[in-house]
Amino acid sequence: MSTPASLEQLIEALRCLPGVGPKSATRMAYYLLQRDRPGANLLANALDTALQVVGHCQLCNTFSEQPVCPMCASGNRDSSLLCVVEMPTDMMMMEQTHAFEGMYFVLMGRLSPLDGVGPKEIGLEKLLKRAQDGLVKEVVLATNYTVEGEATAHYISEMLAKHGLKLTRIARGMPMGGEIEHVDSGTLAQAMMERRKVL
Amino acid sequence: MASGKVSTSIFKQDNQPVYVLHSYPFKETSLVVELFTRDFGRVAAVAKGARRPRSAMRGMLQSFQPLLGAWSGKLELKTLHSLEWYAGLLMLQGEALMCGFYMNELLLRLLAREDAHEMLFDDYGLTLKALAAAPSDSANILRRFELRLLQQLGYAVPLTHNIKDEAVLADAQYFYVPEMGPVSLQHDYQENGVQLSGKTLLDMDKDDYADVQTQQQSKQLMRLLISHYLGDKPLHTRQLLMDLQDL
Ligand SMILES: [Zn+2]
Repeated sequence: MSTPASLEQLIEALRCLPGVGPKSATRMAYYLLQRDRPGANLLANALDTALQVVGHCQLCNTFSEQPVCPMCASGNRDSSLLCVVEMPTDMMMMEQTHAFEGMYFVLMGRLSPLDGVGPKEIGLEKLLKRAQDGLVKEVVLATNYTVEGEATAHYISEMLAKHGLKLTRIARGMPMGGEIEHVDSGTLAQAMMERRKVL
Repeated sequence: MASGKVSTSIFKQDNQPVYVLHSYPFKETSLVVELFTRDFGRVAAVAKGARRPRSAMRGMLQSFQPLLGAWSGKLELKTLHSLEWYAGLLMLQGEALMCGFYMNELLLRLLAREDAHEMLFDDYGLTLKALAAAPSDSANILRRFELRLLQQLGYAVPLTHNIKDEAVLADAQYFYVPEMGPVSLQHDYQENGVQLSGKTLLDMDKDDYADVQTQQQSKQLMRLLISHYLGDKPLHTRQLLMDLQDL
């Protein structure tokens, strides 16, 4: 039995998803066509619409249907503070804390030196322009505390160094309610190294 | 070397000093981790489920940290069972961190799989420590590492004698040709090499990078030699270091 050409194409198309190999792609395609045709239709339409209407916010670079996303357009954020995060999910997490009232910039990725993901591959030029709007006074580097996130934070701080901006990095250390007995050694070692003065 | 003993135990390794060089996604939730191990050289192993949010291994998969690893398997791709903290935490920041990525890329490109280089492993750890302690000295620290890397991989980098086996003279000029070594300037090998003073070669042999000319010329020499052994594919990290300098 040979696979029909259009089914072959669907399987091939599904493989563009991260972590999806030929086997998973085949399973997904069979499922969509055999078990859930309405679901497949919904998926096709949603994908088509999203591709047409979703772009990037001119200010924060996150996904947006408008040129400027609702949060950036709201006017009730502190425009002297700019928090740089890797992904839209990071921005959502930060928002849930209600601890930050400034603006965001979403890189949509991070530098990954060993994979050839450099400054041109993520939105760094856009960030350079964004940070120089004349209103931003402090840039908060809230990239991940992974080696790639650290590399990204370093690159951005070098990039913005000569533009008269205050640069800060989110702190790390003991988690909220953290008991020393149960915290992992890496976090604990970090907390010791970056201990702060109490008195 | 840890090879040679034929027993079933060679398929399972515990408490091995390792560094994570790199990792990349594998299947839906796993990672392939490229390890630099002390006793087995470069080992690739699958960390199953390591991309799940609550994976115990997730936080351990950070490069530049001395770790203890356990893995098993007899094929090229092993199964990683655990990684634990070992020795102190290393804080590589800023330029030192970028240098660390560069070292990792060199090792990934130049180390053959499962070919043990214990001394190189120890050198790597010491170099990371030196970078963390004195990031402003990173250029010289890298030169030492590059030279030792090539030497320990078995590439001859003659510094004290020219190709005629005559002692290199500090105040003479030489042309350094990969695979051969220093030749006098009148020779015909000039198409692929760098010109440098004898002092640079002797300084490098003595591990003395204090002189500015030695710093510049040793940089050119190591760049030539590393490109020679790497082949045509450029290093990603070198581009990033150049981008950083252009800011
Ligand atoms: Zn926005």
